Amino acid sequence: MMEGPFVFRNTQPPPVNAAGVLAGCKICIQPNLSVRGWVTDACSHALKGFIAMEDATVIERLQKSGASIVGSCRMSELGFGIKGDASAQALAEGCDAVLVTDAFGESRILAAQNGLFGFKPSHGICSRRGLIGLIPSMESLAVLTRSADTIASILDVICGADPEDFSMPQDEVMPSFNNPPSSEVATIGIIQEALEMLNETEAAAFNEALREIERQGAEIRKISLPSFKLRRQVHQVVGAVEASSSAGKYDGVRYGYRAPGTSNWNEMYLKTRAECFGTLLKSYLFQGAYFQFKDYEAFVDASRIRHRLVEETRVAFESVDVLALPTRRAGKSAEDAQSVQDLYNAFEMTLFANVVGVPAVSLPGFLQCESQDLGLQLLSPRLKDADLLQYAASILNIQKGTR
Amino acid sequence: MMTQYEAVIGLEIHVQLNSPTKMFCDCPNAPGHHPNAHTCPICLWMPGAVPQFSQTVLEHAVTVCLALNAEIQEFSRFDQKVYYYPDLPKGFQLSQHHHPLSRHGWVDILDEAGKPKRLRLHHIHMEEDVAKLVHETEGHTKISLVDFNRAGAPLVEIVTEPDIRTPFEAMEFLRCLRAQIRYSGAAECSMENGTMRCDANISLRRAGTDEMNTKVEVKNMNSVRAVGNAIAYEMTRQAELLEQGKPIVLHTRLWDPDKNITTPMRGKFSGPCVPDPGVPPIELTQDWIAGMKTRLPEMPEQKRERFVRQYGIKDDEAVLISAEIETAEYFEDLVRQGATPRTGVQWITARLLPVLKERNQAMAQCRITPRRLAELLALTEREEISQNAAREVFAFMLDSDQSAAELIEKHGLKQIGDTQALESMVEDIMAAHPDAVADFRNGKNQALSFLIGQIMRSSQGKANPKVIKELLAEKMK
Repeated sequence: MMEGPFVFRNTQPPPVNAAGVLAGCKICIQPNLSVRGWVTDACSHALKGFIAMEDATVIERLQKSGASIVGSCRMSELGFGIKGDASAQALAEGCDAVLVTDAFGESRILAAQNGLFGFKPSHGICSRRGLIGLIPSMESLAVLTRSADTIASILDVICGADPEDFSMPQDEVMPSFNNPPSSEVATIGIIQEALEMLNETEAAAFNEALREIERQGAEIRKISLPSFKLRRQVHQVVGAVEASSSAGKYDGVRYGYRAPGTSNWNEMYLKTRAECFGTLLKSYLFQGAYFQFKDYEAFVDASRIRHRLVEETRVAFESVDVLALPTRRAGKSAEDAQSVQDLYNAFEMTLFANVVGVPAVSLPGFLQCESQDLGLQLLSPRLKDADLLQYAASILNIQKGTR
Repeated sequence: MMTQYEAVIGLEIHVQLNSPTKMFCDCPNAPGHHPNAHTCPICLWMPGAVPQFSQTVLEHAVTVCLALNAEIQEFSRFDQKVYYYPDLPKGFQLSQHHHPLSRHGWVDILDEAGKPKRLRLHHIHMEEDVAKLVHETEGHTKISLVDFNRAGAPLVEIVTEPDIRTPFEAMEFLRCLRAQIRYSGAAECSMENGTMRCDANISLRRAGTDEMNTKVEVKNMNSVRAVGNAIAYEMTRQAELLEQGKPIVLHTRLWDPDKNITTPMRGKFSGPCVPDPGVPPIELTQDWIAGMKTRLPEMPEQKRERFVRQYGIKDDEAVLISAEIETAEYFEDLVRQGATPRTGVQWITARLLPVLKERNQAMAQCRITPRRLAELLALTEREEISQNAAREVFAFMLDSDQSAAELIEKHGLKQIGDTQALESMVEDIMAAHPDAVADFRNGKNQALSFLIGQIMRSSQGKANPKVIKELLAEKMK
């Protein structure tokens, strides 16, 4: 086992395009993003020894723009939740950015835990070709950085239509990070239903941060998203079903781990799959299979509620520029999750952006609560990613000005 | 026993489209020379690969739907049909369960009584094919190998309403459906080659009621006839169970073509189907659909009308000639090669089609190409051979690549049209049968036929009967 955060280090990086916009930028990825010839096992036994055959679209683009892909760092099994702080360590060791798969809010929680910036783009604007995902409709490739300035240039390179990824919307206008709109936050929306979840100290910290922003001229407006309360159930039912499907291909037939000593393929399937997944992920896959085989109606309901939540959110954004939320609750760690419920508890403030597919960023330093930074999470409408970065920058200016 | 029951039969037909590529990748949609020759990370469903739905496949699928009078849906979407089996590399099959590409549609057939009957379709959806399992032994160990050449091949599944009542109707339905689809050019539809596969759902009810009883699914029929036989067998089997008061259980049975029976296989599969998040929904505009309709080739109905108009053949002849696209194309080629349309129709319907049926051959396998048949017909037209001799030559041509002229020469079938030679034959016969000559002169016209027959016999059919008749009439005046 290698020491440090890396599972793979690129000791012989190819010559970079020195004239590219990301020349000199060191980027670390997770081993669920394909780089030709690299072990791409998503830290899962199911993919043991799997070597990627092709570069992911995102990797092609980064290399073309001069970035050097320095290696891949440890992640949770198939990107299910968070295990360890390898990505933060990689940044501490000199990387400029880590590309993290954000299906529950991983990039934002890691940002809040480690005093970093975490940006999850709108769903569907970053190519998934070459990504070994788990929950396709919830996850996006996200950027974890030490400085907010790096985010735009990386997103500008990795986002945008990929003719080889047919799942990307074909007729949408992609955000342009190169010529961002000069946006100042005028109105910040606060979700009533989210506020009600916070305890006294969390609420106090959150309100304190809002007052700070308000003093600089932004308007704070309380809005209601009645279906917000159901985001967790929606995520869990849809997420578990998609995960169950995605993990269906791990059968030990063509690659990865195959359980020894079985006498027919049915046994081989059962034993291989029993042995290649961790307990926590396995219980999630069970839940997904349950909804697939026994309670499809629950999936239909969840999909309907998700649609409603998307619509409520769209309406809410007609009256506010951004929505603000704490990134996490105090004292709930994804790291300690012993059950699927624990995991959902840890991500209960970040799931929303994944369910409705909007961009979200977590900013450090605004929400001190009992010596913990909860992280200030800002969300904007879908495809307004560049605006969101601008709003975040203007709020960061407030922070600089008042400290 | 059967008469008190009526069968309710629905068919599910898988048709492999003949698009150049597979459904979600650029691999050739064709049998490979070696196992796994036509594969890529996408159709092997390797981690990280994303499906790329082919526009050409969509167009082929829409063409099939339009050829079967189905209503193309503006919105359709792929679902994941989840089951675990080594022939399915990703644990689910992409299929359109909740939102199929088209709904409704119909196929018109003639039933046993020759009456037209319209059999309705429920829907048609797209589906990817799965891999093929090959079971072998290595030494004493049984091994299973997976061949992915077929994995991801584009299919449409045609699901009928339970309108079919008899094995005959089921077979007619399949023949007409196949003809319509072949006409569209979007698929081969060969049950023998596996590019058309048919499962049948069969239940019985008391005649005259509209009960819907438990059905049994029958698979593994590899010809249209086998579908008819399997249904007939299953109807008898179920009727016997009902007579004995035994329940019909929902399950799947396999047709055994050697023993002509069905045997139980498993409980009927019904796995979950959840929308696939990776393949975007298919949204079609009415304009696009209308454009596809205009691109549909000439279908049997239109061809029939044109044949009557253009070639002056009778309507019922045109029906026979236009039923299958291969026949229609053969006919038009034959006419282009110089045959008169009426003669062409008669030879195709009375000679060629029965022979193909008897030999269980497809038009393309037949050695008598339109060019060769046209040559034979031209020789007949010029009276170089008799009608009877032409039939003989036709039979020889079926198993030979020699030209009609060569075969006539080889078998000495050339008609004797030379008046001098015929004149001496006539004189000989008149001399040999003075009674008949006398009878004719006394007004017995049958005597003429007798004498012609005698000459034909002695000339081994080579004499031109028309000329002989004229000569006889002349001489016996």
